[in-house]
Amino acid sequence: MFETIIGLEVHVQLNTQSKLFCSCPTSFNHEQNTNTCPTCLALPGALPVLNKEALRKAGMFGTAVGATINRTSFFDRKSYFYPDSPSAYQITQLYTPIVEHGTLVIDFEDGSQKTIRINRAHIEADAGKNIHEGSISKVDLNRAGTPLLEIVSEPDMRSAEEAILYLKKLHSIVRYIDISDANMQEGSFRVDVNVSIRPKGDEKLYTRVEIKNINSFRFIQRAIEIEVARQKEAWEDGVYEEEIVQETRLFDQVKQETRSMRGKEEAADYRYFPEPDLLKVIVDDAMYADICSIPELPDAKKERFVNDFAISEYHASLITADLENAHYFEEMLSLGISAKNAVTWLIVELQGRLSGGVTPSTSPISAVMLGMLVKRIEEGVISGKAAKEVLDYLLENGGDIDEVIEKLGLKQVSDTGALEALIDEILNANADKVAEYKSGKDKLFGFFVGQAMKASKGSANPNTLNEILQAKLAQ
Amino acid sequence: MQIDETLLQRLEKLSFLQIPDEHREEMIAQLSEIVAFVDNLSELSTEGVDATFAMSDTATRLREDAGSVDRTINDDILSHAPHSQDHFFIVPKIIE
Ligand SMILES: [Zn+2]
Repeated sequence: MFETIIGLEVHVQLNTQSKLFCSCPTSFNHEQNTNTCPTCLALPGALPVLNKEALRKAGMFGTAVGATINRTSFFDRKSYFYPDSPSAYQITQLYTPIVEHGTLVIDFEDGSQKTIRINRAHIEADAGKNIHEGSISKVDLNRAGTPLLEIVSEPDMRSAEEAILYLKKLHSIVRYIDISDANMQEGSFRVDVNVSIRPKGDEKLYTRVEIKNINSFRFIQRAIEIEVARQKEAWEDGVYEEEIVQETRLFDQVKQETRSMRGKEEAADYRYFPEPDLLKVIVDDAMYADICSIPELPDAKKERFVNDFAISEYHASLITADLENAHYFEEMLSLGISAKNAVTWLIVELQGRLSGGVTPSTSPISAVMLGMLVKRIEEGVISGKAAKEVLDYLLENGGDIDEVIEKLGLKQVSDTGALEALIDEILNANADKVAEYKSGKDKLFGFFVGQAMKASKGSANPNTLNEILQAKLAQ
Repeated sequence: MQIDETLLQRLEKLSFLQIPDEHREEMIAQLSEIVAFVDNLSELSTEGVDATFAMSDTATRLREDAGSVDRTINDDILSHAPHSQDHFFIVPKIIE
């Protein structure tokens, strides 16, 4: 029996306005090299000046995972030679990072939990991008110097499932405290996975293999499963020592395999040393106080939803996992509708109708629209069944809730006058059944309801209908 | 620290420089002298000195997070690059 050991390194791009060490904007999608200056192009004499907001956001993450925030931390220089870094080094924090020793709790579907330790989170500068074209490579340094927070977990995860739960929780936290856009496709949430196996019961850690830059949760899960299978097979075939070496591998989505990135090149020598262009980083009392006060976290919001709105843990976790979803739900509630109905219409009805990565907040149905629809049901204007038709129509065509209800002729008749006339007619036409009912055949009540509903073409508000019928039959 | 031919080859690799044969011996001698000079520092006792000790107690300056850039400057830099095209720096092909 084998045990899988997984550790994760996540590079989160901090959503500051300007770069880590210069004022160049961090905006995505600008013309190549227009967001560059002598500092991020590493011209001689240009010196780095640390972005206060990057430091603050890194510290906020520390608070969110209950970590130690080092009031004094340092930057170090990591040498490497590649055209995406004009300075031929990266400024990072190796020896004393801003954040150390945090924890993150993951929740399993059965309600159980596990605590994953976070070793550290440090600030570093991102590199630029290269485009390879024939005999040349084009270098765009717009991204060079963008602030990153690298979040390193301990090797505490024991399955691909745990790794994904950790990543989703981490993603959620980062979004809640708004330190990053955390968009995997755009590269603002980049995941490197370290995987090894060992016989169950063994305490020692064996050779770990790093799988780099996989851009969706689904592919990460797949990549881990495939890599674990490769290592187990090598072990069982008795070729573990030869085939499993400490290296970086790429996940090939098409071939569904992991592949070695470099040949037998000697290990990189980063020659780390304290960054001479920057003094020590001090978090003063004012900033520390600021760092300690962070927005509500997903777990706290979940608990609040359960307590305040009496919705189930499961529903609360579904809604709060995604910040936009949680906001959507809160906005629905601001219309004064019941939380239970809001949950049903958000999770079952709306989300059940969405596909292809569309979320409630990116769907054509705004929170106010969906809330209004629920409100109309609660007011008795339309039935739940009719509301589904309205929702289908709105998803297809958009429009105003009340106009669509009107247009589709779905408005329930709650007008007592009209209903009374209709009921009188039915009772008169069925005098014999009325007599039977009055002599004790209670079951006939359903017959009258059915007839009246039919006569109203289903538009009668059932509550109003029942009330009138009961009153009339009691006469 | 012993500077020898093996280490020199490693340094060449790391620095992407090539030392011509006629200068290798001289280079080894000079590097050895430099390292020996810096080695004087090892005589200092660092017992009880915190790992986070720094020469200056001043904190690094912090900058407010406001974006600004001067396009004429990066245009100028690009125009002085050995090779540029469409506002890209152009380098010999690199294999990922
Ligand atoms: Zn810059």
